[in-house]
Amino acid sequence: MTDSMILLRVFIAFLRIGAIAFGGAYAAIPLVEQEVVTNEGFMTYAEFADLLALDEITPGPILINSATFVGMKVAGMPGAIAATLGCILIPCIVSVSLLFLFRKYKNTVLVQSIVLTLKCMALALIVSTMIKLGMNAVMPSEAQADILHGTYAVAVMAFAFYLIHGKKLSPLPVMLGCGALNVIVSMLGM
Amino acid sequence: MPNKVQRRGGLFGRLIALFLATLTISATANSGYAIIAVMRDDFVNKRKWFTEDEMSDYIAIAQSCPGPMAVTSSMVVGFQSAGILGSLAAVWGVITPPFAIMVLVSIFYQTIVSNPYVTIFMRGMQMGVVAMLLDVCIGLFLNVTKKPGIYPLVVMAIAFLYVRLTNCSIMWLAIGCGVAGAIRALLVKREVEAA
Repeated sequence: MTDSMILLRVFIAFLRIGAIAFGGAYAAIPLVEQEVVTNEGFMTYAEFADLLALDEITPGPILINSATFVGMKVAGMPGAIAATLGCILIPCIVSVSLLFLFRKYKNTVLVQSIVLTLKCMALALIVSTMIKLGMNAVMPSEAQADILHGTYAVAVMAFAFYLIHGKKLSPLPVMLGCGALNVIVSMLGM
Repeated sequence: MPNKVQRRGGLFGRLIALFLATLTISATANSGYAIIAVMRDDFVNKRKWFTEDEMSDYIAIAQSCPGPMAVTSSMVVGFQSAGILGSLAAVWGVITPPFAIMVLVSIFYQTIVSNPYVTIFMRGMQMGVVAMLLDVCIGLFLNVTKKPGIYPLVVMAIAFLYVRLTNCSIMWLAIGCGVAGAIRALLVKREVEAA
């Protein structure tokens, strides 16, 4: 297969993923698996599991991370660029089109009502993700249920919430502080 | 064009500000929702480019698109700040850190995953993310329940059950919400005409 053929295949695979990846990062993972492992065979399942572990420990949107990693593996730097552009192209077009419709018709009852409904949906989706992340922080899947760790996690979350909501601190330093605290606590062997 | 934007500095200044903002956000936050929380803090509380109300409209729009929410929200916020160039600057900012990091990571893969402190740090950050999301949820909740009525609560409950209990695509939920919103608009109009 020629180089440009493989670039095109990577691009189109991620174009498809980007077009149907509704509902946030965790919803995108099975789509990536289907395209990359099952349909195209760019990776083995073991490599895909490695990719998931990497997504957890690297910043940035999971879909972009996955696209860059898969692209790098299949065709080096050009592959990474093709995959990343592929997965953002359709979302970019759709979001600006929706924004145009919103700006043009935002004072009509119809659009106000639709946006209100979508906002309620957005809230429900965020709550669902928050619960998933919260449960994962209190009870990491690989560890056994541990009351001490659970209490610690809840206390950290509550304090962080107090700083962000009560003290109006900006979320970023609070988040980094939580990470640093966790490293210190584990160094002290708790 | 955007009317409520404070035009401090020229277009170029705003493009740089957008690029740097999304670059920093994306370099530190992991999930799309965390990115939205930081964006809201940055653009609403600090820069005062948008009101809380406008920002929650943009979040709803970004949520209704496919693809990474960090990208779609950057497109929307960027466009509202500085037109299509603003969108491009914001999206460029948001994809650069994960791109650069993953290129490096795919080269130094083994060394990174064998360091336990990396994982521990990330796990700690997750707790901060939960706290941040709670703050976002409270803001959004107050925003959608400004007018009295149980409609928002019903939609929230249904959407919540949909994502928790089924494995169906969020696309259908978004389409369903659009249709429900349209039907409600027709009913409201009829009520107004009847009164």
